[in-house]
Amino acid sequence: MQENKKYVSVFDGVRNALMDILDIDADQITPETYVIRELGAESIDLLELAVTLNAVFNVPIQHDDILLLRLRSFLREAEEEGLDSAAYIAAKLPFLPLERIREILLDLDSGPAIKVSDLISYIQWRHRITA
Amino acid sequence: MMLEFSGRRVLIVGGTCELAIRLAESAIRQNLFPILTYRNNDGNNRIRKQLPGTGTQFDTVRLDFSDPASVEAFCEYVKNDVDYWVDFAHGNFEALIAAADPGAVRQYFIENISMRAQILGSAARGMLTRKQGRMVYISSTAAFRPNPGQGFYAAAKLASEALYKNLGLEMAGRGITTVILRPGYIDAGRGKTYLDAHPQTVRNTMPIGRPLTSREVAETILFYLSDHARSFNAVEITLDGGLSAGK
Repeated sequence: MQENKKYVSVFDGVRNALMDILDIDADQITPETYVIRELGAESIDLLELAVTLNAVFNVPIQHDDILLLRLRSFLREAEEEGLDSAAYIAAKLPFLPLERIREILLDLDSGPAIKVSDLISYIQWRHRITA
Repeated sequence: MMLEFSGRRVLIVGGTCELAIRLAESAIRQNLFPILTYRNNDGNNRIRKQLPGTGTQFDTVRLDFSDPASVEAFCEYVKNDVDYWVDFAHGNFEALIAAADPGAVRQYFIENISMRAQILGSAARGMLTRKQGRMVYISSTAAFRPNPGQGFYAAAKLASEALYKNLGLEMAGRGITTVILRPGYIDAGRGKTYLDAHPQTVRNTMPIGRPLTSREVAETILFYLSDHARSFNAVEITLDGGLSAGK
């Protein structure tokens, strides 16, 4: 567990956390890597990832948000209310760029959507709102 | 026997009961640092009167399950540096199932199950950062052999046991394990009140011919916290002198 280290970038910190938790090499991780689909992270790994990122970056982490766990329930809500899905997700998960939300919506059938870049976006957003 | 411990700080939830005080004394003798929870100033004073060496040998922290702000503050507190966790806290609520006030039942389950789940989750997340933690939940033989009027107490105990058991299943791979102890009649607290009222009944039904002492229960808990007992995980252990083995 790497706590209170200074990283050159948020990506470095996230990558190190993933390497430590999943016991994988650095070259397996890019911002475009899918955390569950490609790296095989399980629920206990994701819990540890959220706890680790909280310790490393010293920002509050909402477990369900950073891991996009409520994405599908948000989509159901948008559908039930007759709202635009992308706009609804953007309101619920404000750390995700709109173009990334559109990408997620086109790719839902392929499995859990979370990428390393989503973790980075969350940490950067947290830094901005707590600055 | 000198027990071995790879950690030092022992959070004792429900720290004002007699068993908790006995456990804290035993823990201090093992060079551990107990931190006992209290609900109000009277409880805090009671702990500090009975244990020596405030600040150097033990500490206290407020936790009141009926006060959500206190639970929130406690959840923040337990994210840091808790190696061991012992949970004695349990409200008493005796009522026949068909006679109980629904509002009181709801509140009882909020305080004794929902709030426990909240603090347990926070403590486990804190332990996860160090990949080390040991938890002992003090249940009761009444969880599986309740008397009339103890249905809500038993339900809350069984629900709490399930939380601890699953936590041990989920987190053992990360170094966090749990044990559930179910003591029978103890010569302390609520047990003593019952023993005083029914002295012969208890002696006749306890195969060992006497109730458990608070000292021996405390020493047993300490053993289950120790490194020697790490292979016990996600399991209920009955500690009743053989009472529940017979009719």
